[in-house]
Amino acid sequence: MAATVMSERGRKLLRDFPALGALHEHDRKGIEGLIGLVERAAEYNRDVALPRALELDERMEREPDYFDWEMMREACKYRFFSLAIPEVLGGLANKYMVTGMALVVEELCSACGGIGLAIAAHSLGVAPLIASGAMAHWETVLHEIVEEEKKGNPVLMAYAITEPSAGTDVEEPEFLAVARIGLEAKRVKGGYRVNGRKCFISGGSEAKYITMTAATDRSRPLETWTTFLVERGMEGFSTPRVELKMGQRACHAAELLFEDVFIPHSHVLGYEGDGIANGILIIMAASRGPVGAIATGIARGAFEHFLAWAREPANGKKPIDEDRIRMALADMYAVLEENRGLYLGHSLGGDALFRNAFTHPLFLSAFMIPRRIRASKPYASLLNSYYGKGLVNILFRYFIKDEDATDMLAKASLAKFACADNAMALVSRALELMGTTPSPQRRWVEKAYRDVKLTQIYEGTNQLNRLALYNTEIAGTLKVEIPGPFKKGVR
Amino acid sequence: MARLPEFREEQEYRILRDSAASFAADVLAPQAEELDLQPAPWRVKKALAKADELGMLSALVPEEKGGGGLDDYAFCVALEEIAVEEAGVAVALLAHNAALLPAALGEFEGLITGVGEESYPACLAFPGEVALREGKVNARVPFAFNADGCPFITLIPTQEAGTRAVTVRSDAAGVSIEAEAYPLGLRAARPGALKMEGAEPSNLISGGDMLGAVERALFLGLSAVAVGIIRNALRKAYAYARERYQAGKMIIEHQQMRIFLAEMLAGVEEGRSLTRESCSSRELAPAVTAWMRNTARAVQAATDGVQIHGGYGYMRDYGMERLMRDAKYCQMYPTTSQEALLRLLDIYETG
Ligand SMILES: Cc1cc2nc3c(=O)[nH]c(=O)nc-3n(C[C@H](O)[C@H](O)[C@H](O)COP(=O)(O)OP(=O)(O)OC[C@H]3O[C@@H](n4cnc5c(N)ncnc54)[C@H](O)[C@@H]3O)c2cc1C
Repeated sequence: MAATVMSERGRKLLRDFPALGALHEHDRKGIEGLIGLVERAAEYNRDVALPRALELDERMEREPDYFDWEMMREACKYRFFSLAIPEVLGGLANKYMVTGMALVVEELCSACGGIGLAIAAHSLGVAPLIASGAMAHWETVLHEIVEEEKKGNPVLMAYAITEPSAGTDVEEPEFLAVARIGLEAKRVKGGYRVNGRKCFISGGSEAKYITMTAATDRSRPLETWTTFLVERGMEGFSTPRVELKMGQRACHAAELLFEDVFIPHSHVLGYEGDGIANGILIIMAASRGPVGAIATGIARGAFEHFLAWAREPANGKKPIDEDRIRMALADMYAVLEENRGLYLGHSLGGDALFRNAFTHPLFLSAFMIPRRIRASKPYASLLNSYYGKGLVNILFRYFIKDEDATDMLAKASLAKFACADNAMALVSRALELMGTTPSPQRRWVEKAYRDVKLTQIYEGTNQLNRLALYNTEIAGTLKVEIPGPFKKGVR
Repeated sequence: MARLPEFREEQEYRILRDSAASFAADVLAPQAEELDLQPAPWRVKKALAKADELGMLSALVPEEKGGGGLDDYAFCVALEEIAVEEAGVAVALLAHNAALLPAALGEFEGLITGVGEESYPACLAFPGEVALREGKVNARVPFAFNADGCPFITLIPTQEAGTRAVTVRSDAAGVSIEAEAYPLGLRAARPGALKMEGAEPSNLISGGDMLGAVERALFLGLSAVAVGIIRNALRKAYAYARERYQAGKMIIEHQQMRIFLAEMLAGVEEGRSLTRESCSSRELAPAVTAWMRNTARAVQAATDGVQIHGGYGYMRDYGMERLMRDAKYCQMYPTTSQEALLRLLDIYETG
C-alpha cells in the first residue's frame, strides 16, 4: 500500500540527509519547508554565487576594500536576510530556525565560503536581538530588514564580540573574568559612552545595525558584560579598516572604532551585566552548529570539484579509474555524511529545545496587538522599561531552561570543531591527490583550502570549542545561566 | 633563549648556512610580502641576482665547468635557509638549478646555456610529455616553476629513458608559455604551462641518467625547502605565543599551543636528518621518502602556525597564511604524495 512506501522526496532525502529523510515521514510539511530553503539556495548558487565566486575572490586580494553589493541585492530575492527573523515578524524563522539556517549555509558555502559567510554573518547579527528578547527593537529594526528586503535593499546586521586583545577570552566566562579588555561602555547620563575597538567583525563595514557585547567596567568584564545595539551613523562610530584575508574574502572582516560614541539606554539589549549569557553563550549555542555547516559546505564543494576532476580524462586516462581515487572519494563522502550528522544533530536538537520561543501561543499572543500599537514609541518604551524587560525575561525563561541552553552549547561546540577539522582534512587531501597539474577544478579546491581554514578559527577557535564541550558535557562545570528578571543594574 | 638543537655539520656547511641565512634575512625578508603578492619578474630576478653571490645560480654545476660546485647537501642547506624567509625564491632557485643539472652532468657541444650569462631563472619542463623528433622538440608540460619569464627551458625527452636532455630558448619559434593564472603559493617561482611544437633546441645534451638526477634534485631540494617552512612557522608562532595573552596568561602556557610548537620542533629535527641522510645516498627512494614526510610536516606546521595566531594568522599582514599556501605546493609538486608512495614500491620491486 502507498502508505507504507516512502515518498520519492523522502527517499532522496534519506540518501542525502538521513536524519531529515527519517523526519520527513513524521513531519512532511516542516521538512518540505526546509528542503524548499535548500533548493532556493541552490538556485542562488547557480545564478549568483558560482558565476562570480572565483573572480570575486581574486579581485578582493587586489582590492580588499571592494564589496559586491550586487550579490547581496540578489540575495534579497531569496529572502536570505530573514532566515533568523520569526514568522510573526514577517521573517522565515519557524520551529526549524537553526536547522534551516544550517542547511542554507551549507548549500551556499558549497559554492563559495565567502558569499555564504557574508549572508550568514547577517543572521548572526540578528540573533542577539532575538535571544535577548529585546522586543522593543523588533518592530523597528527587524521590520525594516524584512520590508527593505522585499524591495531588494539589503539592510545588514553584524555581530561584534572580538576585541584586538581578547578573542578566545570573550567566548568563555572563566576567561572573560581575567581578560584584557580594551573597549569600555561607561555609564553616563541617559546611556553609555563607548571608547575602543572591536576587530575581525564579519560584515561590520556594511552593516547598518550591529549587535555588540562590551564591558561597562573594563576591570570587571564578566560582571559588567552587556549587549548593545549599535547603529551606523551614531556619532563617533566608524569602520576604518578591513583585513586582507586568506580566504572567505567575499565577506569583509572589519575593525569597528568607537570614539566617544553615545549609546542610549534604549539600546541595551536585556539588562546591563547579562551579556555573557544573552549576548554570547546562547548565541554560540545556536550558531556554532551552522559554522559546522559552513565547513561542511566548503568541503562538499571541494568534493564535488574533486569528483569532476577525477572523471576528466588526463593523458588518456581518468583518475577515477584508479582504485586509490575511488577509495579517497568514499572516504570523503563518509566525512561529509558524518559532518551532516553532526551539525543536523545539533541543529534539530536545538530547534526542539528552542522552538517554543517561536511557536508558543504565549509568544504569539504578543503579536495579536495591532502592529500600529506595537510599533509605537510608547509601546517600545514600555517594553524597554524595567517592568517591560522583566516580563519578557520571565517569558523567555519559561521557554528556555538553563539545562537546555547548556546542552545545546555542548552539541554546538562539538559540531563546530569536529566538522571544521574534518573539512580541513578533506580539502587538504583532495588537493594533495590532485597535484599541481592545472585544471579548472584545482582552482576551486585551492580556494576551498584557503576558505576552510577559517572554520577552525572563528566562532571560538577549535581549542576553545573543545574546552567548551569538555566543560559543559564531560566535566559539567560550565552551565549557561539564563539571567533572571527584575534585577537592577549589574549583578 | 629559544634555539634549535645543534645539528651536527661540518664547518663548510655551517659557513654556507650562515651566509645563506644572512642573504635571506637581508634581501628576502624585507620584501617577502611583495614576493608573494606582486612577484613581478624584475623583482624575482633582482633577488636571484643577489643569490648568485652565494653561487646559487650554478650551485650544482661543477667548478671545472664554471659553476658553484656545491654538493647536494650543501645545496639543500642553502635552500633550507633561504626558504626560512621566502620559500618561493628557494623553489625558483631549485628549479633553476635542476634545469642546469643535465648540462652539469652530461656531454654536449658549446657553452652551457645559462652559466655565466644573464639568463635566469631557467625553467625545468618537468613533469610532462616531451618528444625529440628529427632534431625538433614537441612538448606539453602542464605545470613547471619559473616557466613564466624564463630565458630558456630544459627538457628531458621521455622516449629515451631520460638519458638525453635539450635546452630551448623561450623565444624560439614554436614555444608558447602560459603563466598560471592564480597560483596558490610559491608565487615567486612563477609557475606556468609550456607547449612546444617543433621548437629548435639550442643544446643537445647526452649521458647518464638525466631524469633520475633531476627528479632526485627536486625531491631533495623540496624536502629542504619544507624544513625551511617549518622553521619559519616555528619561529613566528613561538614568538607570537610569547606575546599574546589569553585567559590571563601567555598563550604559550596553554598546553595545546606547546604541543603544536613541539610538533614543529620535531619536524625540523626529523626533516633535517631525513634530508641529510638522503643526500648521502645516490638512490631515489630516500629522497622521495624525505620529500613526502617533510612536505606533509610543513603543511601541518603551517596550518598549526596559523591556528596559534588565531584570527591574526588568517590575515596577510602576519605572514603566516602564506606558509600554508607555500607548503601545500611543495607537497603537490613534482608528483602527488600517493603516486610517490606507489613509486617507492615500484622501485623496491624493480630494484
Ligand atoms: C575572518 C574572521 C571573521 C571573524 N568574524 C567575527 C565576527 O563576525 N564577530 C566577532 O565577534 N568575531 C569574529 N571573528 C573573531 C574570531 O571569533 C576570533 O578570531 C577567535 O575567537 C579567536 O580569537 P583570536 O583571534 O583573538 O585568537 P586568540 O584568542 O588570541 O587565540 C590564539 C591561539 O591561542 C589559543 N588559545 C587561546 N586561549 C586558549 C586557552 N585558554 N586554552 C587553549 N588555547 C587557547 C587559541 O586556540 C589560538 O590557537 C572573526 C575572525 C576571523 C579571522
